[in-house]
Amino acid sequence: MYTQKVLEHFRNPHNFGSMDNPDALGQVGNLACGDVMKLYLKIAKNKDGQDYIEDVKFETLGCAAAIATSSVVTDLAKNKTLTEALKIKNEDIIKALDDLPTIKIHCSLLAADALAEAIYSYFQKTNQPISKELEQLHQRIVTCQTRLKH
Amino acid sequence: MKLSTKTRYGLRALANLIGQDGCCSIKQISKNEHISSDYLEKIFSKLKKAGILKVERGATGGYNLNCDPKKTTLKEVVNALEKAEFICPDFCSCQSKSVWQKIQSGFTNVLSSITLNQLVDSKTKSVYLDYAASTPVDPEVLNTMLPYFDFSYAGNTMSLHQMGTSASQVVETCRQSFANILNALPKEIIFTASATESNNTVLKGIAFANKSKGKHIIISSIEHDCVLESAAWLKTQGFEISQISVDKDGLLNLDELKKTIRKDTILVSVIHGNNEIGTIQDLASIGQICHDRGVYFHTDASQSFTKVPLDLSKLNIDLLTASSHKIYGPKGAALLYIKTGTKITPLLHGGGHEFGIRSSTLNLPAVVGFTKAAEIAMANFDQENARLIKLRDYLIKNILETIPDSHLNGHPTDRLSNNINISFDRVEGESLLLELDYYGIAASTGSACSSSSLEPSHVLLAIGLKPEQSHGSLRFSLGRFTTKSDADYLLKVLPQVINKFRALSPFKS
Repeated sequence: MYTQKVLEHFRNPHNFGSMDNPDALGQVGNLACGDVMKLYLKIAKNKDGQDYIEDVKFETLGCAAAIATSSVVTDLAKNKTLTEALKIKNEDIIKALDDLPTIKIHCSLLAADALAEAIYSYFQKTNQPISKELEQLHQRIVTCQTRLKH
Repeated sequence: MKLSTKTRYGLRALANLIGQDGCCSIKQISKNEHISSDYLEKIFSKLKKAGILKVERGATGGYNLNCDPKKTTLKEVVNALEKAEFICPDFCSCQSKSVWQKIQSGFTNVLSSITLNQLVDSKTKSVYLDYAASTPVDPEVLNTMLPYFDFSYAGNTMSLHQMGTSASQVVETCRQSFANILNALPKEIIFTASATESNNTVLKGIAFANKSKGKHIIISSIEHDCVLESAAWLKTQGFEISQISVDKDGLLNLDELKKTIRKDTILVSVIHGNNEIGTIQDLASIGQICHDRGVYFHTDASQSFTKVPLDLSKLNIDLLTASSHKIYGPKGAALLYIKTGTKITPLLHGGGHEFGIRSSTLNLPAVVGFTKAAEIAMANFDQENARLIKLRDYLIKNILETIPDSHLNGHPTDRLSNNINISFDRVEGESLLLELDYYGIAASTGSACSSSSLEPSHVLLAIGLKPEQSHGSLRFSLGRFTTKSDADYLLKVLPQVINKFRALSPFKS
């Protein structure tokens, strides 16, 4: 059912755990499938003065696909500028895992959403302009999560 | 030194003996490992001479370990079983001598680095705890089946020639055997190909044969999918379905049942031993209610048959389903008990087999295997169920004690002898299942994430679990080949697995 890549990330997830004083936090969840993801970002300036993801950690309650997509999205996001990181889509996550079963595609969406939410919260906190696209994405995620309990 | 079959069998037998936790007869190990008892006797006498095994006398006697499996290495076992055989004699000085010496010392190093305990505990260990899903065919059952694939039984049971007649006689013997086991009449036993088929026959067959009386059917909220889906289909055909709730332990709400039965109710169908949470329903009370109100009562006993006593002469049951592959028989065989006088329409029309209720040429070897499996299970009924209950309660107690925030699902005592279902907070079932699989443990989950739908288990929701609790539930079902050492292995691995995923979870206790 799962590719070797998914199983590798599932068994030995990268960048997992919590982070003290993160600069940004994104939590998304889908109780219909019992998955909740929490992404922590440490953000710094690169030599061009752009914000970039210096460190990233995740905590996930969920199935093997949820854990693997969380793990792989941290790999994809690490050391990227926030502008680059926002371009990471769920298709990139699926590609990095060599595929996902159809019924688990939503896990890749969840991982991409967690990253976008974390960046959104950082923009808000630092009073940076938020693109219309990101605002729409945020609204969709929030609506999706009305059932989520913390 | 060389390694031969003797060593391979010797190690297998020793591993099996260690797994038994105590004295074990040659006969038992021979059966477990499929090694001839004569051959084992030879191996064991050598191991005894080497001080690895000892003989214990008495009724529960047999062979037992005479050494500490934590300290004894495989080298000692191999030394006891094989002649020390050097490739080159000492005086030889051929050019390849050093190569063989290196191989020899490599061999010795590997064998002395592994203890008997490690052999048993190694990751290649395989512990099957999914007997409720399906069971392996008992070798004795298979042997009983084999002759019935023979030409002499090639006939259709409906044919009048000799070969058809002998096949038909065999089927009648099987029918009689089930009639004896269930305390019913032979003509009340119909052979089918699966419990799903039996249950479909009941729901659709009773519905269509009795629609002049009414179109109302009652089921419980914790039925197997084949009953739920049959009922859902009947709804599309104009029948009305009511579902009776269960309490937090999974027992049917009898007052609600009484209130729900109407004049136009034709059937009540309630699962006997639940496949997910193991709760056993009070068939006598449910049967009495249905009998008093003149409504047919069907029970799906797929999980409970040979685990809970079923005397159909004493219970007010009109229809009952039992299955072969849950009791160490082959897949593709099941039965449906239909009490004399019950009005039912067949699902399969054709040549009129099985008293016209189920047309289809009978799968003779499967029916024979199913019968043999039932006979074996009934002969060991008390002993085996007592053993399973002890093992089940040992596991439940220890899991709940050692793993915080774990909760038993299903009734604590009115429970199938082999069923364990536990919810673990803050973890998800599918990941647990996959991780356990790495340790060689096969279990099952009520989590939606491992199934083709994303809905959590309807049974766990019916007993009041929240969706997130049902996602974190595991079912371990024990069986004939589950040993105390399997249970201890699970108890060793499970806390590690739960801890791993709780550490990953954003929710902390």
